[in-house]
Amino acid sequence: MTTTPRHESLRSLTDDAFEERFGCDRFTATVLANRYRYIVEHMCTGLLTNAFSVILRDWYDFAATISGPAHLDYAMPAASNSLHVFIGTMADAVRNAVEEYGPERLAPGDVLICNDPYRAGTHVNDVCFTRPVFADGQLFGFVNLRAHMLDMGGPVPGGFSSTKRNVYETGVVIAPQLLYCGDEPVRSTWSLIFDNARFGELMLPDVKTIYANLLLGESLLQESVQRYGRTASWGAMAYACDASAGSMALGISGVPDGEYLAEDLIDGDGIDDSEEYRLHVRIVVQGSRMEIDFSGSSRQARTAINAGWLDTKTAVYTALKFLLDPRSPFTSGALRNVDICLPQQAFMHALPPEGAIFLFWESTLPIVLTIFKALRDAPGVRGIAGDFGSLALHNANGVTPDGMPWVVVALTGGEHGPWGATAQGDADSYNVPFMGNNLDPAIEAVEASSPVLILRKEYVADTAGAGRFRGGAAVVKDSLWALEAEHHTMPLHFKTPSGFGVKGGGAGTTGGVWMWEATSLDVANDGYIPALDDDVYQQSTPVAGVLDPETRRPDQEGEYFHFARVPVLRTQPGAVFRYLTNGGGGWGNPFERDPDLVKRDVRDGYVTLAGAERDYGVVITGDPEADPEGLIFDEDATRDRRSGNGESSSASPR
Amino acid sequence: MLGVDVGGTFTDVVGVEDGRIVVTKVPTDPSTTESSVLEGARALNVGGKTVFNHASTAGLNAIITRNIPKIGFITTEGHRDMLDAGRVWRPRDALTDADWRRSFGDATAPLVPRYLRRGVRERLHADGSVLIPLDESHAIDQIRLLKKCDVTAVAICLLHSYVNSDHETRVRDLVRQELGDIPCSTSFEVSPLAKEYARASTTVIDVLMKVVFEEYYARLASGLRELGFQGDINFADSAARLLPADVAMRRPHRIVFSGPAAGTIASRRFGNLIEEQNMICCDVGGTSCDISIVENGKLRLNTTFELEHDLVVNALATEITSFGAGGGSIVSVDAVGEIGVGPASAGAFPGPACYGRGGEAPTVTDACLLIGILDPDAFLGGDMRLDVDRARGAFEALDVTLDLPRRVAYAYRLALNNIAEGVVDVAIRNGIDPREYSLVAFGAAGPMLLPALLELTHVKQVLIPPYPGLFSALGLLSSELVYSDSRSAYVVLGADAAPQLDSLYASIEAELREHLPSSADARIRRTFDGRLVGQSWDTPFIGVAERPITAEVVNGMIRSFHDEYERRWGNRFERFPVQGVTYRVQLTMPTPHLDYEELGDRNTGEMAAPSAWTELRYLSTGQRAAVFLRPELRLGDVIMGPALIREDLSTTHVTDGQVAVVGRFGELAIRRHTGQSEEVPVR
Repeated sequence: MTTTPRHESLRSLTDDAFEERFGCDRFTATVLANRYRYIVEHMCTGLLTNAFSVILRDWYDFAATISGPAHLDYAMPAASNSLHVFIGTMADAVRNAVEEYGPERLAPGDVLICNDPYRAGTHVNDVCFTRPVFADGQLFGFVNLRAHMLDMGGPVPGGFSSTKRNVYETGVVIAPQLLYCGDEPVRSTWSLIFDNARFGELMLPDVKTIYANLLLGESLLQESVQRYGRTASWGAMAYACDASAGSMALGISGVPDGEYLAEDLIDGDGIDDSEEYRLHVRIVVQGSRMEIDFSGSSRQARTAINAGWLDTKTAVYTALKFLLDPRSPFTSGALRNVDICLPQQAFMHALPPEGAIFLFWESTLPIVLTIFKALRDAPGVRGIAGDFGSLALHNANGVTPDGMPWVVVALTGGEHGPWGATAQGDADSYNVPFMGNNLDPAIEAVEASSPVLILRKEYVADTAGAGRFRGGAAVVKDSLWALEAEHHTMPLHFKTPSGFGVKGGGAGTTGGVWMWEATSLDVANDGYIPALDDDVYQQSTPVAGVLDPETRRPDQEGEYFHFARVPVLRTQPGAVFRYLTNGGGGWGNPFERDPDLVKRDVRDGYVTLAGAERDYGVVITGDPEADPEGLIFDEDATRDRRSGNGESSSASPR
Repeated sequence: MLGVDVGGTFTDVVGVEDGRIVVTKVPTDPSTTESSVLEGARALNVGGKTVFNHASTAGLNAIITRNIPKIGFITTEGHRDMLDAGRVWRPRDALTDADWRRSFGDATAPLVPRYLRRGVRERLHADGSVLIPLDESHAIDQIRLLKKCDVTAVAICLLHSYVNSDHETRVRDLVRQELGDIPCSTSFEVSPLAKEYARASTTVIDVLMKVVFEEYYARLASGLRELGFQGDINFADSAARLLPADVAMRRPHRIVFSGPAAGTIASRRFGNLIEEQNMICCDVGGTSCDISIVENGKLRLNTTFELEHDLVVNALATEITSFGAGGGSIVSVDAVGEIGVGPASAGAFPGPACYGRGGEAPTVTDACLLIGILDPDAFLGGDMRLDVDRARGAFEALDVTLDLPRRVAYAYRLALNNIAEGVVDVAIRNGIDPREYSLVAFGAAGPMLLPALLELTHVKQVLIPPYPGLFSALGLLSSELVYSDSRSAYVVLGADAAPQLDSLYASIEAELREHLPSSADARIRRTFDGRLVGQSWDTPFIGVAERPITAEVVNGMIRSFHDEYERRWGNRFERFPVQGVTYRVQLTMPTPHLDYEELGDRNTGEMAAPSAWTELRYLSTGQRAAVFLRPELRLGDVIMGPALIREDLSTTHVTDGQVAVVGRFGELAIRRHTGQSEEVPVR
């Protein structure tokens, strides 16, 4: 539907007052605000469909935005439907890059780039490309693309690693400088990138494609300015940002005044598990304003699992949008009524040179969940149960028999998984974390480009948080590596269930990572893929998770296996890795779940017969494997069980 | 030539007799759709016709309402959840919405529930070589389980089958062996393209459409034969191009979205005729409202489309947005006593309360009848009487404190608002300014509702074409018949690829010609979708010069690709080889000419005179509206609102403050009346 904001002060403006403030009438402002959003979508489509590296063409690891000029404080009225981790940092990234370079030095035909996490957020592989757009010889604004470059140098091909210890290891840092000057490539900048980065043959056409789509955005924006005039076009930028500021303010007003607290932790860093990283969130609400204070949180980590200040700001924005203002589009106005207090050199505000940043999302995803948790019992606030909580990336590289280097990034770990339930109903089991929105790469596209086979990508029974509405089930992903390879694993959230429940719902289970060498499990010879039963875990090498030392299956009472005990795992051809994500949290008391839905879950393999009785108090008989339609619901036994008269005394939900 | 458009509420039949358009409209009986089609065909003397072109929303409605057969899905072990996960991403509206659910996911309304999605033990490498051979006894176990569950059809999609189809073929044979001759679709035949989810969902839709259409088509064909019809039956695909019926039934996923596409084609053609290049085409039927855009005379064509967000079908389609709003939309009252309209629809059976067919819920049509926009005695040209008392009774039965006039007025205004939101949404999502566009209003309820949107949507004008009530069906008739088909195969373009490409094109052409009566003078157009090696998405519709395809022609294809790529995307990467993906052939056959009849002007200096006056109730003020009969209008007539313009199959409501001007082909151009003469352009 249309995105006209429902915001009192904007709504109550008279037509004349509106026109005076925004330089155009309401309808024009709406048309223009939407046109900006359409321009950024087209820039994204153009990049997606023409990119060469898997992370862009099959993952959608990029975003586009539009920004206003200095006198509008670089207001960002439009961002593409993609990763928040980008769109939340872009307004500041563009402002910081342009101000440092000097807006007066920019001319038509320039492209400015910057990739420094401390100036622009995220990590060095995400290069921000900014095109100043001129109209009638005057700087009107900027179109921007930020895209994940396959490699930006550093010791690990592809860059993803939890063990990098400082800014000198994370990759080449590009301070704001021109990539194009008057539409001519600037040789020194290109050389800086391509002298330091691997896989130039894929990155070169990707960078040219990014440039082509900046030109597309520029021409669409210029067309629009020509049609509506500068005054109206700037007015619509201000309008879009004011509208989302107002919309968020209304959302905050719905939260009762007061103080809200919550905590979480990160398992450890890339050196060892001697230090857990504690996250403290204190939220103070007063009227339509909010302060979020991270004081008391742990110091910055010793390796590159930290986040920068802009990433933390993005996480706050994401959490508040989901909780308080889910429907309005995102602009740089969204956090106008929110203050954020960050301790210096903490893991969510790391500083160079020691506070290395690469896996920033592993620090910011918990921020989103902890804000959900802090406000979960606030009257009038929707309950959102926790999701799988970590991307648990896997990064592998090697060399093909004919000497070509290869890398597989962010395709074979626990990148996507279950959400938590809400009052709306059961959650889906395969989603992007709340901080993002992107494609799940097609297995066939991955395997055609890389020496890996994804053998299994499937949901696991009895992993979802129980509830009147259940969470999404955990996802198991098995990958078979055809060649000798080096692996970097980086799961950081197995010590506590990220999928906490709300309104009486249970938590999802925690996951783990395992490995098999071909000597213990040989898929090609066995003729089948690794099963999900106990035997297969017995033959495994545990890589990460809180696991029962005997069965090697996840068990919160078990032993913590630190993922980087062996920082780089080297395997022979035929090795298999398994990633199991955390389960999503449930919503509401599971003993109030409709027994028909429990029966359906048993039929569909989301819940076992034993799980139905244990977690939901629903007694079902039959054989879901051999006769899924022949299951029988035992009403009497269920009544007994649910009223606490059953044999087992643990009638309360997990 | 006959064109038939089966909608959720009515079945529209149009024909050409001696170059003139003849039409009829019959209610759609959802239990035996073909009987409605046959009834209409009989009315237009199908016996003497040579071509029968068919579009239908039956398949689409089955998917959207999940009124679908129980089918099984067989895939590679470990991957059965691909149908639940889709491509993962959320629509823009849900970027920050934790309540969002995938509409076809297990948590909502899956097309195949998880226990009927079975993995079989087998695995191919990406190059088609075998990692794990097909374990036949394991496969048979899975198929027997599906049999135990009484599935009526099976879709098969194994990983990498688009490169090596051996395992899929064998599994299909095992399905035949265990389950007999039930509908079965294999992904390598349906859509041999990379990316497993899109191929799988296309295959699932394909087999569902087989179940929906196969029996239907058999009954239709025999019914038509009984009526003496001996010509060719074609189905429109989702871009309103024609497929011979036998070809369509082999891969029916292509016809799932045919009804709406025909309306866009009809609009574009009519737009060309009256030199209107920018149009928002809006088809308001009984059940749904379908919106599409014609920009600079061109429609938007895609090589894949989504039936719901991320429910992908790999097939050529016109870009169309649909939502539940139409004449049959049901007026209801929610828990807090607020009146709502739609998206549920009464369809044709039972239909609006005023149809007197047992429908008890009030609908938008009932509201229009009570307001006075519809004439109870002139509906469907007087073939059907509308029952005002039943309409009133239905509104009175609503559990709400408002009085009757306000119940009716609210329902009417809400219906308008819903459609207006949809129109504005589509316009701005596509980045167009509605003020520069004409809103083409058609479908049974279009003319009665859409002119009132002039103010709400800011469009330049509302255009009511001739025969608005069955305008979509006119998209199936035209001055030419366009047939098209395609094949997919990943081939790196080079001299040695020429024989393979030539045989691909030859087989498509042969199959099309085999089913066409006299294709000798058909105009042929060949294109391909390609990409640079290393890319993941295709650049579609690159021209292919001629056949036979020789090394030289292939060189031309490569050059054309680079030229077109540079034109569309601004870069030229000649160092990268070009890979062909999908090969398309379009056959255009000349047919007897169809024209809209031109109207004369009055030559008397006078204007049209109202045939009657009627009272419009319940609007903001009571209004006296002039009633005109559309067949009596002439070029240049100017009609001031409030007015009703009646024709057999629809009523146009020109609201207070609007003015309608009659154009060359009888089209009505409705604009705001500001009292200034330039607001009333006369052609």
